Amino acid sequence: MALDYQVYLEKLALFGRILRQEGLDVSPNETADACRILLELGMADRAVVKTALRTVYAKSRDEQLRFDRVFDSFFLSEDAIRAVDKKHQQQELERAEALREAERELQGESPSLLYNDAQKEAYSQLSEQEKERLRNIKEKFLGDPARNPGLYSSMIHSIFARSIMEQQMSMEDAAMGRMAIDPEIGLMFRDISQFEDHEIPKAVMYIQDIARRINGELTQKRRHTGHTGALDFRRTIRKGLETGGRFYRLAYRRKRSRRKRLVVLCDVSGSMIQFSEFVLRFIQSLNQASESSRVFLFSEEMAEADAFHLQNMDLFRDYVRQSGVYGRGTDLGSALRKLNDMKPPVLSPAAMLLIISDAKTVNVPLAMQEVLRARARAGKVFWLNPIPEGKWKYLNSISTMAELCTMISCSTLEALGQACRKLAFL
Amino acid sequence: MDLETLKQKMDEANYIYDDTLATVLYVALRLNRPLLIEGAAGVGKTEIAKVMAAALDRELVRMQCYEGLDESKSLYEWNYQKQLLSIQVNMGSRDSDELTRSLFSDEYLLERPLLKSIRSEKPVVLLIDEIDKSDEEFEAFLLELLSEMQVSIPEIGTIKATTVPFVVLTSNRARPISDALRRRCAYLYIEYPDAEKELAILRAKVPHIDERLAVEIVSAVQKLRGSEAILKKPSIAETLDWAEALHALGVRELTPEIMRTTVGFVLKNNEDIETMAETLFAEDHECCGDPENCAHAGEPGHHHHHHGA
Repeated sequence: MALDYQVYLEKLALFGRILRQEGLDVSPNETADACRILLELGMADRAVVKTALRTVYAKSRDEQLRFDRVFDSFFLSEDAIRAVDKKHQQQELERAEALREAERELQGESPSLLYNDAQKEAYSQLSEQEKERLRNIKEKFLGDPARNPGLYSSMIHSIFARSIMEQQMSMEDAAMGRMAIDPEIGLMFRDISQFEDHEIPKAVMYIQDIARRINGELTQKRRHTGHTGALDFRRTIRKGLETGGRFYRLAYRRKRSRRKRLVVLCDVSGSMIQFSEFVLRFIQSLNQASESSRVFLFSEEMAEADAFHLQNMDLFRDYVRQSGVYGRGTDLGSALRKLNDMKPPVLSPAAMLLIISDAKTVNVPLAMQEVLRARARAGKVFWLNPIPEGKWKYLNSISTMAELCTMISCSTLEALGQACRKLAFL
Repeated sequence: MDLETLKQKMDEANYIYDDTLATVLYVALRLNRPLLIEGAAGVGKTEIAKVMAAALDRELVRMQCYEGLDESKSLYEWNYQKQLLSIQVNMGSRDSDELTRSLFSDEYLLERPLLKSIRSEKPVVLLIDEIDKSDEEFEAFLLELLSEMQVSIPEIGTIKATTVPFVVLTSNRARPISDALRRRCAYLYIEYPDAEKELAILRAKVPHIDERLAVEIVSAVQKLRGSEAILKKPSIAETLDWAEALHALGVRELTPEIMRTTVGFVLKNNEDIETMAETLFAEDHECCGDPENCAHAGEPGHHHHHHGA
């Protein structure tokens, strides 16, 4: 028994470490619990073991999904181990064959060019159409590659680099899609711009739900911060009169809660409109978060939106179309410049500027310069970006902008909720 | 008690469950952990506590949470009236220390559900229902009780649990439960049952219902739940209510007409009732391709689509 316990404990400790890497809070207590329960239930029935461990380790629906994934890859059934092994060998063979094939195709015409394994692999995974395109490019520029192999190969290499990057991005997308299996919370973890029309009412319901929670938390926070201020002598003495001059109850100065003024600059170009709608809806629902807010919409032009048009999505869409700013390219720089130059000034130290955009703008240097100017004028500058943080490194304009202000990624409702909570509590 | 015995007891309590649920309950019971149950409204969270009480042959102590719930309503309260009376009566007594001591004794203590559950001679099942409706302070206060199985009463001192209750907490996720509380609990998430399980529940709870009607009810409810357009999904309790109502009306078959008149039992808001017509009837009348001779023509909710100009 003692030996069994030891073996279980070691396995479970390792399992716990992997769970921790996945973001679950696993304490030694839980590992001990898991061990106890496994000793009682045994390991014979995989489903029972999985349920028992899940009960011990996962403490929310989200954690359950993460747990399932870790469990399935950690505790493989015997058949699964064999199947994985076989599949792995098969894949290795196929990969080697594909590499040889790619090498034949690539080297055949111009042996002077050198390709590394990653590039060969990228080539082998290209679609037939892409391969055709690559071959065309080669033919077009073939001239005499032997004369300037460096120049020629750097161009080909850049095409490969793009293909590898696209593969990487699509793999990341696939990994994010795992959350979609649960219809109850799937919507919370999906890309907002990918929502279908019939899902929008439900998404709006979630937003109202989250906004209600944040509002509730804000009210509670205010209710509890009344006692910490300095003693208010005048009110204490007056209150003391009620109790015959004894200071039975002390009165404190209340800290006056100063709410922020919010200035929202919102990108409504083609790719952004759905996301912007959701964010604006969120901000409108947070009636407690700011004292007043002004919303400006931009794509190439900039226009101010009034509260009436923001109250429902249809009105908003119609308004955006009529205002004439919709559907063109994005020019953040000139929109920000207009905002910075407005008289009377919109931005002041008491205001918080919130930029909602994917940072895919023309004239990046101007945009950078204006963000810096806005930062000097406004109290704080925040940027809500619908592009997942993992992809920022592939897009130059985003990584540059992220250094200039606080950029928060919120591609999903869940992330958007977190971001708004963060903003509301500042 | 082992897993098989627990299953047997739940069978005896006439409760429909799957292996996952049984295992989770067993784990929580063996580890003496409170069980936190989350899931949409009406999937049967509260029912689990009742079944556990029946299966373990224990008393069920229930505490419904709401905003503003505090220690005096959940744990204990002094019986002020009785204390005042006692002071009046014993005014002449010499030993005032003794009087003070006696005022804070068990005699004047009003037990509320939490205290009752840990001071009970026999272990009980404690149901803390809809914990998400209570305030955060209350949640923090629960932590001491749930992790140490003891509570502190300033006038008496710390009271340790005589027996350890099996605690079930339920939440509709109206507000997030703190991580500290989650960590102390075993966790169970309940989804709506699939058609097979729901039919079994219907048969068990409404045994007198016509078999064919039961199948039709379950398939209609499942279709409604599966539809994205329905905002408030029908709960199991509502399915049972509907079945009872249809049975009472002497209905043998679920026609669109019957469905329209009784749908108020499963759908509780106007938009959903309107979209229901589209969800259910669109498929029911696929066979009717002839608008001229259709028996349902002109009925509300029954449309024929005319193609072309």
